Amino acid sequence: MYAALLANRYLTSRIIPLIAVAAVALCVALVVIVVSVMSGFLDMLRTSGRTMMGDVVVRYPISGIPYYDELIKTIEALPEAEVATPAIDTFGLLEMPYGTQEGNLVETVQVWGIEPVSFSKVSDFENILWWQTPSEAEAATLSPDDPRLAEGRDRKSDAMKMRDAMSDQPGIVLGMHISMFNERQSDGTYGFRNGGDQWWMPGKSVELTLVPIKRGKLSVEPEAREFVVVNEFQSGVFQIDKNRALISLADAQQMLRMSSGELYDTSGAIDPETGGPKKIGNSPARATQVLVRTADGYTPQQLRQAVEGAYESFWKTSRADPSRLVQPPDPYAMTIVTWEQQLADIIGPVQKERELMRILFSIVYIVCAGLVLSIFWAIVYEKTRDIGILRAIGASRPGILGIFLIYGLVIGLLGSILGAVLGWLVVSNINSIHDAMGEPAPTWLIITIFSAAGLLLLISIHAAIRGSILRWLLGVIGCLLLAAVGIGLFLHQGFLLWDPSVYYFASVPNETDWFTALLTMGGAVLFSVIGAAIPAARAADTDPVTALRYQ
Amino acid sequence: MSESEETTSVPILEGRQLRKTYRLGRVKVPVLKGASVSINQGEWVAILGASGSGKSTLLHLLGGLDRPDSDGGSVLYQGERVALEKGSPTNTYRNRSIGFVFQFYHLLPELDVMQNAMLATLVPKSRSSRLLMGAALLVGGAAGATLGVLGAGSWGLLPVEERTPVRAGILGATCAILGAAVMIAFVQLIQSFLARRFTRTSEEARITEKALSDFGLDHRVRHRPRELSGGERQRVAIARALGSEPAILLADEPTGNLDVHTGKEILELLKKRHDAGLTIVMVTHDSSVAAYADRVVHLEDGSVVEHTQPDLSRSADTIHA
Repeated sequence: MYAALLANRYLTSRIIPLIAVAAVALCVALVVIVVSVMSGFLDMLRTSGRTMMGDVVVRYPISGIPYYDELIKTIEALPEAEVATPAIDTFGLLEMPYGTQEGNLVETVQVWGIEPVSFSKVSDFENILWWQTPSEAEAATLSPDDPRLAEGRDRKSDAMKMRDAMSDQPGIVLGMHISMFNERQSDGTYGFRNGGDQWWMPGKSVELTLVPIKRGKLSVEPEAREFVVVNEFQSGVFQIDKNRALISLADAQQMLRMSSGELYDTSGAIDPETGGPKKIGNSPARATQVLVRTADGYTPQQLRQAVEGAYESFWKTSRADPSRLVQPPDPYAMTIVTWEQQLADIIGPVQKERELMRILFSIVYIVCAGLVLSIFWAIVYEKTRDIGILRAIGASRPGILGIFLIYGLVIGLLGSILGAVLGWLVVSNINSIHDAMGEPAPTWLIITIFSAAGLLLLISIHAAIRGSILRWLLGVIGCLLLAAVGIGLFLHQGFLLWDPSVYYFASVPNETDWFTALLTMGGAVLFSVIGAAIPAARAADTDPVTALRYQ
Repeated sequence: MSESEETTSVPILEGRQLRKTYRLGRVKVPVLKGASVSINQGEWVAILGASGSGKSTLLHLLGGLDRPDSDGGSVLYQGERVALEKGSPTNTYRNRSIGFVFQFYHLLPELDVMQNAMLATLVPKSRSSRLLMGAALLVGGAAGATLGVLGAGSWGLLPVEERTPVRAGILGATCAILGAAVMIAFVQLIQSFLARRFTRTSEEARITEKALSDFGLDHRVRHRPRELSGGERQRVAIARALGSEPAILLADEPTGNLDVHTGKEILELLKKRHDAGLTIVMVTHDSSVAAYADRVVHLEDGSVVEHTQPDLSRSADTIHA
């Protein structure tokens, strides 16, 4: 009981433990804030990346996978798979409708041929289409010259068919940042650069050039076609939105010579009926990748393993059919990866940064331990005589140890709880704080701070007259600090650390990473106790006679 | 000798051939060289000697605060040997049988007068409270671990893809630490509250309050030591020493830091307690203080040189601080 009483008195009657609690709290808050924002950013990036590709990708670039419909059926029969869709992935040149006197601007793009309906089931395609037909309520908020009002098209419907219904032309959906006139605003929406709303892309025609694969010794000319932009999308990953254009799978297959067709004998054999080359069979349509979505209750890793098995089975079945002149690639040549592996170049660096942050900020634990250790070392020295007194009245060594261990534990616990609350408050309100930083400081705040600085100056002058050096010094330091803050706020005209037009995401991630927060809190408590343990053990070992003689 | 002489036939405390050597760097300094002393029940014995004669060391050995040399004799309490070897638990002996009063009072500055006076009565209760702390550690740890593992698996603390056994284990261990810490802090808070209540409303508190009142400190019970005079502090120290109702009071120069008048007040206070049957062993270098005792043990250069009756010619009015 005396241990609880004394630990409580030591905690509440001195300023040192409060400093220790504040230091631990700041350490914990620092880790929680930094890692939460990093984790939030990573999660946003992962979610955004995943929206465009499902969970597992089966790839065989350039020549593609024949009989992909059969592969999809095999995969969809797996319990781990919910749905699969084919796609073609290639590169192309996109001639924009705007340019200079020397010609229109041409962008290099990554072209995906997709089946919009099944692609929407695998990915989040339907929901990331940016331009939607405005509702009546939305229309009322738009300016009268907004191009969306003048349009008679259903942009979403057109995108889901990859066809411009009005002109009956093949449609193309562009990443939001392909057009140089789409300019991201500070609120995360899009406006038009230089007021160029005449370059609102939907409805404009663009020319897409693709280079088909080279088969055998036949060289194939590049294929160029006109497309009407039916919509634009924003996935959330800048690299995707800057480079990717979507067309229908059928269009892509035609342009890349990957549609189904007939195979002819190239050895010179003549078909006596037609007098032309002899037909020897059919060539199936191809897709360069199959995207698969995981069924509920399974992880992408589990699905990937199942898909590997499914592909092998599909390949064996196909090989067993002697009528097939074209066979799917061998399993070893296939790339079957999860979305995370596929996006490793984008996600990897951020993930590594977050882990690096975690490791670097783990040093905070050592800081905590060192801090508590040094404070406790000082406290134990100061309390040496008290320890002797307690031993003299019958306190045991474990009892003495307990006082200081509980003391350290309570400091760690209070500090970690306060730190987590502080971290949570900052993270939850990080966008408000950020917005406030983006504005000039309010006049009342500047006046209040300068007034406080003036008050401290008067107090320090009074202290100097009374001869108190400590009060004078504290007054001067406080006055200078407040004056510096006041001048800083006076000069501050607002700046955005996280400019959505630059950093892409509309807002700073504001979800607390509770896993990290709990880990940090536990670490802070543990290391505070460890920090207290050494001085506590020293206290317990103190010889009572020596302690009583201590001055 | 006082009226308690009739009851002094059995030694309550005995030091036999006590030897103690201190080591100052490489130099061994023998402080006690086979000192023997025997204190009877109800007796007031003064140990008189010059500075450095070993009288405080003798008192510390008798009180179990210090250990004699490995072959340095023994201490017997009520005829039973007190285990003073390294690692031997002498806490109960010090708490139950002995009360210490020091020259420099040695009160705990964070506690008020009442709490200081009751400190010795709070110590035995801490043994059971340690068991409570152990239980809090186990219960809090187990509850935390369970919540952590549940949190990892079911409550969305970990994303589905990160719900691995290792991560769930890490979270469980972390929550076990936090759960145990919360429970211990909670028990600590409750115990602190109970300790404060104990020093205010318990039967022991009532007895201590009466004792403080007898010592003229009834208006000071909620004051801190720094707010008291030297004499008041020493009276609180005596109240603390007597708090656990020990059989023997060991006083090390109890008036050494006080003026003559206050010193006399303290000695009168001790005399009153001695008259009520308390055994007192008092160390002093002042023969006028020793005059209060029933018997004087003269210590010189670490050895008992003679036992005498106090010099009653040294009036108590002439004691030196």
